[in-house]
Amino acid sequence: MNWLQNISITCFAASYAVVFFLEISRVFFDVSFRKYVRVGFAAAGLFAHTVFLILQGKLVLGSTGLWLGSWFGWCLATAWILALAYIWISARQPKSVIGLFLIPLILGLIGLGVGFGHENQFSPMRAKSIWNMVHGSALLLGTAIVALGFVFGVVYVVQSRRLKHKSPQSRHFRLPSLEWLQKSSEYSLIISTFLLAIGLVSGIAINWTNPADDTLSSGRIIAWSNPVIWSSGILFSWLLIVSVFNFCYQPSRQGRKVAYLVIASFLFLVLELAIVWWVGHATSDSNSDVAQRLEIQSVSEESHSVVGRLKI
Amino acid sequence: MNLQVIGCSHHQSSVATREQLAFTQQQIKPFLNNYYSKFPNSEVVLLSTCNRTEFYTVANKPNSVPGKSELIEFIAEQRGIAATDINSEIFIHQDRQAVEHLFSVASSLDSMVVGEAQILSQVKQAYKLAVETNQTAALIHRVFQSAIRVARRISNETEIHTNRVSVPSVAIGVLAKQIFERLDNKKILILGAGEMAEETLRYAIHEGGKDFTIINRSIENAKQLAAKFDGRVGDWAELEKELAAADLVISATGATKAVVNSDQFDRVEEMRKQKPIFILDLAVPRDFEQSISDRLNVYLYTLDDLQKECERNRQSRQSHYPKAQKIIDHEADQFFNEIQRRSSGSTIAQLKRQADNAKQLELDRLMNRLEGVSEKQKSEIEQSFNRLVNKILHPPLKSLQTESPQVSGGLLEALKKLFQLGD
Repeated sequence: MNWLQNISITCFAASYAVVFFLEISRVFFDVSFRKYVRVGFAAAGLFAHTVFLILQGKLVLGSTGLWLGSWFGWCLATAWILALAYIWISARQPKSVIGLFLIPLILGLIGLGVGFGHENQFSPMRAKSIWNMVHGSALLLGTAIVALGFVFGVVYVVQSRRLKHKSPQSRHFRLPSLEWLQKSSEYSLIISTFLLAIGLVSGIAINWTNPADDTLSSGRIIAWSNPVIWSSGILFSWLLIVSVFNFCYQPSRQGRKVAYLVIASFLFLVLELAIVWWVGHATSDSNSDVAQRLEIQSVSEESHSVVGRLKI
Repeated sequence: MNLQVIGCSHHQSSVATREQLAFTQQQIKPFLNNYYSKFPNSEVVLLSTCNRTEFYTVANKPNSVPGKSELIEFIAEQRGIAATDINSEIFIHQDRQAVEHLFSVASSLDSMVVGEAQILSQVKQAYKLAVETNQTAALIHRVFQSAIRVARRISNETEIHTNRVSVPSVAIGVLAKQIFERLDNKKILILGAGEMAEETLRYAIHEGGKDFTIINRSIENAKQLAAKFDGRVGDWAELEKELAAADLVISATGATKAVVNSDQFDRVEEMRKQKPIFILDLAVPRDFEQSISDRLNVYLYTLDDLQKECERNRQSRQSHYPKAQKIIDHEADQFFNEIQRRSSGSTIAQLKRQADNAKQLELDRLMNRLEGVSEKQKSEIEQSFNRLVNKILHPPLKSLQTESPQVSGGLLEALKKLFQLGD
């Protein structure tokens, strides 16, 4: 099975790229066997993707839990879930060209992982508890499902706009029904809220069982001063409010509004991930970074006071 | 094979003539039995639909099928009308033209609405009745099975059947499906109880619609329609409440002005809590004020919108016509080649047998005269005779196989006469 070791990112990225081009070609002309080729390439890409994640991406499923190595692994794992979702959607909605919206997201995540993911390695210490595993898995799945909801939301807006303007549906550019898109958006909102709640609770549990120095010194379980913590709190609160609002106030879960809500949730998520990545949350150098930043801050404060004294 | 089709269709016959010649399913079998009593040497299929009545007659021997005037006399007699009344509106196609016509009819290229799917099942039904009446109808089998195969091929290889072209079918089969995933759990409200409302409701039921309420100014008409489709009759005074509950509204009243205005819809919208609604306003003048269309989650389509969609689909179907016509030409060639191959087969076999007999006689005579010929030399001589016969027969047989059916038919007759071959 040595050949499995030779599977590279190019293998599955190229497969997904072929799927994307086949999706584009659907808009222009019909070929009866294309759907088999398209799903075949997607399945081949998913297989290569799976093997790569297991062998090269340092994804480990064992007694110590699930470990993604770095942001690189995180991005690839999210792309993997979306690729799986693509095959599921292809089976459920074979005539729709929803892949035109979903595949670029998968390719974008792979590109993001390759471009920036190697910089921040997750600390291996993080994989040592069940809470870490739950934390990582829930956030990973939640992220993927919010992204999927975003695709459903965008497609809903496109389809609804087309129907409102009475533009004819091209035989080559079919989208799922509004009802299906609305239901899928709703489910993605509820499931992602649930998963992010698990992620947040497990994060608290991690701090409880293995408190960091700053939380110990402050005597608090949650370090609210940490941008990752407060931004996650805001994201979760947003999703929770949206879900509760959805449940209690009927108009919010009707038609375009639910689509706008899932799109907004995705934008929130992108912001949150940007903060997490910038701060270097869960990475091996995050503690030293924080220490370094604190040192710089104290030096800066000292120099300010010196300058102040000199002025006086 | 001698094939002809005599009949009338929407292309050249008036509705009056088509009505006079139309047959119900129950009338077809007695007609076919009467036909066989009078013309026992041919086979017949009667195709009768709203837009055409056609009699396909076929026989192996020449002059076995009745001629146009003879058949028109017979049909007129059967229908109890004067032959002269219908004579001028009847068409006739023979042989290749008749085959191409049948292929076009079965593929719905000859239909009033090109690409409609119903005609193929009507052709199959006509074929079935013909076979039930005359179970030994071998020629009918050959012609009609080819026609059904051609129709399927055109359906698979062209997009002539893909786009819907009637207003109700576009409204329900195309647009409603883009909004709703399924109709069986949707509340359908029908305003009006006329023909258009009924036709659209029929499509909605066909697509799975189950829960429908009919509201009409005349409650009697609403009750009749509701009874026909097992629906519920609503009260016109409760219109706003019914609109608030509905997912799909089919409106086709005969009202002279809008029955739902913007103010009324404000109240409906409040009750709906922005639930999406699909409104098919099929009335002229419109039943819903145009401004209602601007509301969020309201998808309002008027008759004009739907007719534009139908027209686009019709044009799309027409654009596939040349490709379908090419398939028909090709299949008609194949059909006649096959017929020719079958009919020339026995003549070719006779010719070969005759040549073989002559060769054998001459070979035996030569062998008796020659002395001291070794086995090897005998074999050489025999092979030489065989080659000679093959070389003589090869050019005419090749011409017979490669020429068009029309030319090879003449060649076949010439061959029979020249070599004095039997039928």
